[in-house]
Amino acid sequence: MKDSLSLTLEKTFNLDLANLYLILDLALSQGGDFSEIYLEHSTYNYINMEDDIIKETAESISQGLGIRVISKEKTGFGYTNSFSLNKIKKAAQTAASVANQTKRISPFQLNPLPMKHNFYPIQIPAYESNLQTKISLVKKTYAAAQSFSSLIKKVKVNLVDKLQTIIIANSEGIVTFDSRPLLKLTCSAIAEKSGKREVGYYGGGGRVGLEYFSKKLTPQTIGQEASKEALLLLEAVAPPAGEMPVVLAPGHSGVLIHEAVGHLLEADFNRKKTSVFWNKMGKKVGTSQLTIYDDPTIPYFRGSYNMDDEGTIPQKTLLIERGKVVGFLQDKLSAKLMKASLTGHGRRQNFTCFPLPRMSNTYIAAGEYSPQEIIKSISRGFYAYKYQGGQVEDSGKFTFSVSSGFLIEEGKLTSPVKQATLIGSNIDILNKISMVGSDLKFGLQTGTCSKGGQQVPVNDGCPTLKIDKMTVGGRE
Amino acid sequence: MSHRKKAISSLGDIAEHLVTYAQAKGADESQVSIADSLEFSLDVRLGKIENLVEAGITSLALKIIKDKKTAWATSSDLSPETLKNLVVKAIDRAQVTNPDPFAGLPDLSPFSIKPSSLKLYDPEIPRLETKTKIAVAKEAEKIAMADKRITNSHGASLETREIKHVLANSHGFLHQYSETFCSLSLGLQAGDPDNKVEDFWFSAQRFWKDLESPAEIAKKAVERTVRQLNPRKIKTQKVPVIFEPMMTSWLLGFLFACISGVSIYQKASFLVGKLHQKIANKKVNIYDHGLLPGKLGSRPFDSEGVPCQKTAVIEKGVLKNYLCNSYAARKLKLMSTGNAEGTGVSPNNFYLVPDDNSPQNIINSLEKGLILIRTIGHGLNPLTGEISKGAFGLWVEKGEVKFPVSEITISGQLGEILNNIEIIGNDPDWRSLLAGPTIKIKELMVAGE
Repeated sequence: MKDSLSLTLEKTFNLDLANLYLILDLALSQGGDFSEIYLEHSTYNYINMEDDIIKETAESISQGLGIRVISKEKTGFGYTNSFSLNKIKKAAQTAASVANQTKRISPFQLNPLPMKHNFYPIQIPAYESNLQTKISLVKKTYAAAQSFSSLIKKVKVNLVDKLQTIIIANSEGIVTFDSRPLLKLTCSAIAEKSGKREVGYYGGGGRVGLEYFSKKLTPQTIGQEASKEALLLLEAVAPPAGEMPVVLAPGHSGVLIHEAVGHLLEADFNRKKTSVFWNKMGKKVGTSQLTIYDDPTIPYFRGSYNMDDEGTIPQKTLLIERGKVVGFLQDKLSAKLMKASLTGHGRRQNFTCFPLPRMSNTYIAAGEYSPQEIIKSISRGFYAYKYQGGQVEDSGKFTFSVSSGFLIEEGKLTSPVKQATLIGSNIDILNKISMVGSDLKFGLQTGTCSKGGQQVPVNDGCPTLKIDKMTVGGRE
Repeated sequence: MSHRKKAISSLGDIAEHLVTYAQAKGADESQVSIADSLEFSLDVRLGKIENLVEAGITSLALKIIKDKKTAWATSSDLSPETLKNLVVKAIDRAQVTNPDPFAGLPDLSPFSIKPSSLKLYDPEIPRLETKTKIAVAKEAEKIAMADKRITNSHGASLETREIKHVLANSHGFLHQYSETFCSLSLGLQAGDPDNKVEDFWFSAQRFWKDLESPAEIAKKAVERTVRQLNPRKIKTQKVPVIFEPMMTSWLLGFLFACISGVSIYQKASFLVGKLHQKIANKKVNIYDHGLLPGKLGSRPFDSEGVPCQKTAVIEKGVLKNYLCNSYAARKLKLMSTGNAEGTGVSPNNFYLVPDDNSPQNIINSLEKGLILIRTIGHGLNPLTGEISKGAFGLWVEKGEVKFPVSEITISGQLGEILNNIEIIGNDPDWRSLLAGPTIKIKELMVAGE
């Protein structure tokens, strides 16, 4: 590992360990407690097919470095896209200026941290594969969507692959390296019937190689599922409005846990006492059927990483155990200020950003009810199936947008429903979860989470869930 | 200053040389844009500095067309070897895509707009001292926290940005301009730990002297937060709804997504085929204007070098134009409206023309209904025009605000909403590219209990 680290450092960034040490030392020149350098080289490739042609391709190179200094609760940060020592020194001095302590510490000697695990052991890296191979995947997806029905009038397919190579060195003497692949193939299809038009969407990927699309999820499935959803929505009715029992479908509904619970267990909001959970550690906030994890170590998942963006080896983290708050997602700053252990959840979008506590792959553990029994228990209600996204605020009020679902009538799924919004307040809803299904599934591996203007790839999952009463925003 | 000028001209040289290189390597057409930005941002919370960021970044974007085939590339590595390699790879990549008869750079007429007439650049911003900026942010939060009803703070954030844009293409276009931005925002919480409410206020301008004072920002942030204390739920019902200016602005954002030439040629909007038809109440006039001096969305030319202009989008309720880049324009047999941004389109200043009604008069005219103050969530579908979002509001009876409302959703369809705009206010909000005044909608579905 040391060899590949030093080699990357030299080849990609034209720097060596001695340079890094000098920069870390300069960053502490005003008396900071901690300094860190984050080096990034990312490549991104994009293929777009619409109007029956491969319309555009794009390649993107993003490289640079960010230097961070922590002095008590303050963070100083500077970044540059230039690797000239002068520019780097200037960024270090900018970051240093946040501190004004007379006590001056020196960084520890840098020791490369051996990486013993790899959560993305891929076989066919997309970034090394030729363009024709990738184009053929795009075309297969497109054809599958288009030929699914004569009602499909418009198809769009995108393939995006990324490779993010980062080196992190800090004044605690750690220097470490990760190279993270990310792949995503998505399809949207518009169906039209009697002047009515609806769009369906499907996709997949993760930290996987191209082999994923021949084994786990074929381009044919992606195209067909997108068209299937568009056709289903053509038959959909407007959603009901008001309070009613709601069943959340397994997999896609993980976005509810991400919004309603996950964000508010990020340590920064609790350290600042803005999250409704800040005074709830060890307390019961939901039904005892509810256990929630965030796990950055699931192989091939979109939200996984070998190390977080502060160089910490991540851990599967228990957040809620049988309804009780037992953990927060920590980054270095919050862990230090809260005197808590690191969990490996300090993430950043890229070198221009400083790290924040973030989720990775968040999910509710399986419960004991079969999905059939859950649906059967409801005489009139709403079954939420797929989502456009969600949003939460620190007070615990959250909402999420359902792109497709079904009515539940007399214990059965009946008419498809489109475009509804679910709204609630988190602790209230957590207490109203009355049945947790045995069928844990994960979402599409296409999700991105935004916080403080920073986007990071995530995934989430859940089994079928019954919420006794929730406000459904509809038009009928 | 002179050092900085030299840097600009050298970016112009890089762009021009790269276009020349691309042409020499066989591109039919090529375009290079460079953005060079300096960012300062500061977060202050509970009287202390939390984060201080100061940095610069340069990024380059390249578009190549060969045999009517398009390839894009971007890079933040501006070394000559990387850029040349990027050009060669883009030309190679173009070969494997399919010819597209609509591909190409726009035909540009000689350029006449003087960037200086647009008042985009405040020379004071690069000269501001860090301690001044820290003092301003701290003051805003301090004033707000002095109010006993405020129980916690998300902090005050101050940002300044200075960006230089250079654009060159193989038709001989080479122009550049500089712009500045500054903003101050403050987020607050009120209420006890289990019944928190929160909101924020911000000011955003190009010129430092135009920024609202810390006291004004604090006052508005406090008012907006405490007015939500002790919210109630309401019954599910259809009622008249008043949109505050920020809410009208998001509605305009959704309208933009539906009238963008890209959504139209992709047939992804409910407004496909509606040009020259009446789609809104006849009181509704909406324009996109890229040349309003000092406004945040103004710019001399778009990302393809097409001069910005004033474009009628809706006049007296009739849909007049889709907003296009050159590609969407060719697909739709229209003209580019100077709205190109990156590979797609963006509004310049997209605004609903205000009328002369004060917001207070609009509220007074409401017998019973909701003032929409915030929404959360993503429920917008351009293909159908359907809207469904989580909402916060104020309940009004007999022209007076009675109590705050939360945990409700609003839903409707954009076409119906545009037709149901009954009253338009005199208070447009220019803090973003989308500028809406207060409006009153005849009826919307509000879901609660």
